[in-house]
Amino acid sequence: MTRSILVAGAGGVGKTTVAAAIAVAAARRGLRTLVVTVDPARRLADALGLESLGDEPAPHEDEPMLWAAMLDSTASWRAVAMRHADPDVATRLADNEFFQAAAEHFPASQAYAAADQAATFVQARAWDLVVVDTPPSGGGIDFFASPGQMADLVGGRLLRWITGGPLPGRRFFFDRAARPMLRIAGSILGSDLLERVSEFLLDLRTTYDGVSQRGREIERVLREASIVVVTTADPFPVAEAVRFYRELPRLASTPAAVLFNRALPESWVGPRIPDSISPELAQNAERWSAEALRQKDVREEFSSRYAAQVATLPWTPDPPTDLNGLMRLIAEDGVVVPWERFGIA
Amino acid sequence: MLSKRLLIVSGKGGVGKSAVAAGIAMFAQRRGLRVLAIEMGSEGGLSSHFGTGSLDFESREVRPGLHALRIVRSEALLEYLSLQLRLPGMGRFGAVARAFDALATAAPAVREIITIGKVLWEVREDRWDLVVADAPPTGQIGSYLRAPLSIGELVPTGRIGGQAEWMRETLADPDRTMLALVTLPEELPATETADALAWVAQADVVPPPLVIANRVLPELSDKSTPDGTVGEMAGLHRALVSEQKRWLKEVPPHISLPFLFGLFTPGEVAAKLSEQLEAAS
Repeated sequence: MTRSILVAGAGGVGKTTVAAAIAVAAARRGLRTLVVTVDPARRLADALGLESLGDEPAPHEDEPMLWAAMLDSTASWRAVAMRHADPDVATRLADNEFFQAAAEHFPASQAYAAADQAATFVQARAWDLVVVDTPPSGGGIDFFASPGQMADLVGGRLLRWITGGPLPGRRFFFDRAARPMLRIAGSILGSDLLERVSEFLLDLRTTYDGVSQRGREIERVLREASIVVVTTADPFPVAEAVRFYRELPRLASTPAAVLFNRALPESWVGPRIPDSISPELAQNAERWSAEALRQKDVREEFSSRYAAQVATLPWTPDPPTDLNGLMRLIAEDGVVVPWERFGIA
Repeated sequence: MLSKRLLIVSGKGGVGKSAVAAGIAMFAQRRGLRVLAIEMGSEGGLSSHFGTGSLDFESREVRPGLHALRIVRSEALLEYLSLQLRLPGMGRFGAVARAFDALATAAPAVREIITIGKVLWEVREDRWDLVVADAPPTGQIGSYLRAPLSIGELVPTGRIGGQAEWMRETLADPDRTMLALVTLPEELPATETADALAWVAQADVVPPPLVIANRVLPELSDKSTPDGTVGEMAGLHRALVSEQKRWLKEVPPHISLPFLFGLFTPGEVAAKLSEQLEAAS
């Protein structure tokens, strides 16, 4: 069967690098591995051979067991409509000016498209392992919550808000003259706008059965996956990591490990400062010692509060930009990937 | 910076945007200005830096002379309907509010106009010397800054369209409004900031932004590398400085704020940044 590892975390913490490193290590252990990334930094994309790739997995030139694909972050409600609506309705939806706007305003729709694509790769059963670098949009948790949210949304949450009651039929909107509140809304927005939005929402509802069924499949894939949370010791990413530990057990599964990137060695806490060095270097040493101590405190607190398995990745000025560099992260820098927790012997 | 009436602070997630916004607000308050800080995006981003618990839509004094509020969309909507569109007693029309809330999710620019509208309304009311908005991240800021223009194009006839013009003028006025983009001297934030600068130049809805680089490391003038840990620290430091320089050259900042070693609580960070801003000005 195909195993999957989802790499989650705030933007900018090195999530893509970690996903790539795990994938390279797995490929070199002999597993047919697909790494799926979102919007990788230029240099890393080059290392993965993603230069010219679209969203179709392609084999890596130099690494026989490794495939890579990029998630299409623009695929969104359009894909949902094309997949789940009648052709006529799908075309009408795709042409609707609110379509794009609604997709932008509802970050879960992008996350949903990404989760849908990732689940498709896992279900293809063409690989032993699929490593997914999840998109950080909407706090990252959206990736996991999106199947349910999407079904809820197209299922008429918006429509129910409008009427405050049961789902209305199309007639409701054309009967607007008799409805004072819609008349008021119309006078504020221009009646035309209200009508067009209503059309859009009614069309969108026809995708409900398809979306909710596919949503359940995606949720199953997410629940069976192992999750690695990546963070740095900075407040914003740590807050995101905390959210994953709090909310993922309900949405998917408890994360297997949290990986602190940009970690300073614990031996840097309280170093011996020789008398012979300049005051400037002594001050520099005191500063980095304080930072190393802060990081250690953050990791220890996280570990004890969330019963989390903590691993670290060292702070390097240059993120790795080739496969060997990625491999070294796993092999030499002492990152222990808990393979057995991913169901990999 | 403090001579403006409105400072909109944006940046990629994780660059310390809220801390910088809080730091600016505290700095302005120490200079004796009447300041309003507004949390536009996710809850707690700004308030954690003031250490006063979560904020409400009703503004509250968090320091003498420094008030803060959080934009709660449902309340902003009712206020928008009653104050700006002059529809009295809108609170009674629950159904209209609901319809609006739904439209705000589906219709372009409606949600943004309500949020940025509240910010601009506070600027217009003249109760504050400076309004500091902790704005949504760079990826979304464009749709907020462009909202008055979008709404004007979309619904020129409705009442909401009639409000768009003064908003557009306020945002575009270099005497009143400044957009500050907080960034880090690293690849991803620098790239996103460069994209945002290009967007602003092309969209022409706000004056040219102020770029604030955060977590900039000081250069070491001592080039020696002693044995042991102290030498390792100097080595990493120098390597990071040279990587940072590359991105500082790519996106040159107007203001650089230092890396704060060993500080963790949001309150400490914002207080320190506010001192640094004062020193830099």
